[in-house]
Amino acid sequence: MEGFRIVVLIKQVPDIEKVRFDVETGRVDRSSAPAETNPFDLNALEAALQIKERCGGTVTVISMGPRQAESSLKDAIARGADRAILLTDPRLAGADTIATARALAAAIKKLGGFDLILCGEKTVDGDTGQVGPEVAELLGIPHAAYVCELREISRDRVVVVSDMGDKYLYELELPALLTVTRELNTPRLPTLKDLLRAKRAGIEVWTADDLSEHVPANMLGYQGSRTRVVKVVIPSAEHRKGIIYRGEDAVEKIAEILLSEVAAI
Amino acid sequence: MEKELLRELESLVGSEWVVSAKEAIEGYLYDETPPPLRPKASENVVVVKPRNAEEVSKILILANKRRIPIFPRGGGTGLAGACIPTMSGIVLSLERMNSITVDSENLMAEAEAGATLKDLIEAADKAGLSFPLHPGDEGAQIGGLIACNAGGARAVKTGIMRNCVKGLEVVLPTGEILRLGGKILKNNVGYDLMHLLIGSEGTLAIITKAWIKLQPRDAASATIVIPFEKREQALGMVPKIFQEGIIPLAVEYVERNLVEKVGKSLGLKWPCTSAEYQLMIILSEPSEDALLGVLEKLLGLCEKSGALEPIVAETRKEQDEILKIRSEIYSTLKPDMVDILDTTVPPARMIELIRIVNELEKKHGVYMPVYGHAGDGNLHVHLMKWDGWTDERYDELRRMIYEKTLELGGTITGEHGIGYLRKKYMEEVLEGKAIELMKAIKRIFDPNNILNPDKVLP
Repeated sequence: MEGFRIVVLIKQVPDIEKVRFDVETGRVDRSSAPAETNPFDLNALEAALQIKERCGGTVTVISMGPRQAESSLKDAIARGADRAILLTDPRLAGADTIATARALAAAIKKLGGFDLILCGEKTVDGDTGQVGPEVAELLGIPHAAYVCELREISRDRVVVVSDMGDKYLYELELPALLTVTRELNTPRLPTLKDLLRAKRAGIEVWTADDLSEHVPANMLGYQGSRTRVVKVVIPSAEHRKGIIYRGEDAVEKIAEILLSEVAAI
Repeated sequence: MEKELLRELESLVGSEWVVSAKEAIEGYLYDETPPPLRPKASENVVVVKPRNAEEVSKILILANKRRIPIFPRGGGTGLAGACIPTMSGIVLSLERMNSITVDSENLMAEAEAGATLKDLIEAADKAGLSFPLHPGDEGAQIGGLIACNAGGARAVKTGIMRNCVKGLEVVLPTGEILRLGGKILKNNVGYDLMHLLIGSEGTLAIITKAWIKLQPRDAASATIVIPFEKREQALGMVPKIFQEGIIPLAVEYVERNLVEKVGKSLGLKWPCTSAEYQLMIILSEPSEDALLGVLEKLLGLCEKSGALEPIVAETRKEQDEILKIRSEIYSTLKPDMVDILDTTVPPARMIELIRIVNELEKKHGVYMPVYGHAGDGNLHVHLMKWDGWTDERYDELRRMIYEKTLELGGTITGEHGIGYLRKKYMEEVLEGKAIELMKAIKRIFDPNNILNPDKVLP
């Protein structure tokens, strides 16, 4: 039996705990934090590698982003992916979720056949969780989101548990797309040898022209986006206040404050 | 505590900051010293929380006049009982003095004593710089870190606390406020009192403020775990790393059974499962290319040293998880622990020390968990709660390990300090004359012996 052809979609994001926002422009200051692979995408890659180890097959990783996103693809190669493709082109920049999904879906079509597409449940910078399901819709295949357990996989179907607040058991026909949660597995670390080999490896680069057979360039990037960021509001951080009440009426005062807080809620 | 003293203290710092209610002082009596060893704290103490050096000075003048013992307290993360109030007196908590400002031009932080290690790491990070040391618990306070000359895992490249401190503001037991050094990298005026105070464990002066050297933030870092089938191979590789010209941020020695157990208790997975004896190396380099060069050298060295397949973490989360597991070994072992030893030998002789520990394990039929800062030759051997063992038997074993450590050219504490616990071993480590000089210095600084009176000196 031929092995599974698995595609993993990954994105390079700024380290979200360190990144700073420019309050004036509402933009992310990318120089303020190192870039790394979206953590959920590493769970998707790990799931792909485990399926490949169990059932045989190939793992192809695709990312759309600027040139520096190559380092995330190299990291995926180091962890065991067979092939990595970077979609990069000024015409792809500024894409919203649907324009991103169009580019990724076109790249997957260009690859030829596939059995399973895996991606993280969302990215930590955009936080929408939309791109995965949109790719599935564009490809006309079923999908399950927030997959926290992979029960069974066979030639033509996959059984998964999806955590949508409550847990649901889904059986999907292949080819299908799954977006996965952090609970699914613990991503492996690359060996030093594989990491060094991957660092020296070249990454395939595709531009909008390479995708033109499946999607016109005007449907991609900023031009192809149907949503616009009009304004970004960064909430100011709330700090705890410490107030000490003393004396006989202290308890009463505190009770009063607590009651007014409850009323406000 | 007598009412009059409480009133006087209240007049100095404000009544909110003088605490004597039993339940309110409970959290100020002990530190992280394993309970079976720590001295009993006096409950007849008052906790005073000054806001600045002037208030500290007033408290010390009062205490000196009345001969009241003062127990300086930071984050309470010490392991030798240095801040435990062993007699009735004042616990001086510097927690309200917690401001930090960063001077990016001079790569220097000005930190008050009560700011925490976490505060310092964050302030440096916000300024685009870094404070590289990580002596464990991030709740530790700057004053305590300096008073105890903390070290920890990431001390290989940039040194221990002593190497980072460039200036101190201190208050003497007699009330004078002194400024020693500052934002200067060279200072050759007279005897170096600042370095005398660093590591004096709160017995000579109260540190109220410090000027701390920061580092530029490195652009690339990685944590590598290298497994070995033999302990000798793991420790034997450590000197070669330095000889090769690789200067990591940290070189830690761990044993798999221990880190796997700790990982499990934290809900994390130790990432390297292939052999028992492991080195954990943290690299921090100014660029991706520089890191790549060092990783290549390291791989070559691993191959020559008989290592199995090393693994690498590059994302912050994956690196943090490995360090987290390493940092939590102590707290995981603590409930079953009697003592954590802090012996330090010349790094190339660590293997001899471990062999001795192994022989003692066999002789006594016990298991002593061992891990440590291999890059510094600093090995933490743990004495656990073993059935039927008396205090005397533990002490005999401890003295045996100390004796062998000294024979190897080592010392009994590399970073935890003497505090209360190790006073009784001082005479075995130091010449009589050295102790005599230390006692004379203590008398000059603190003529009435009010500052942490029964700590450090035998």
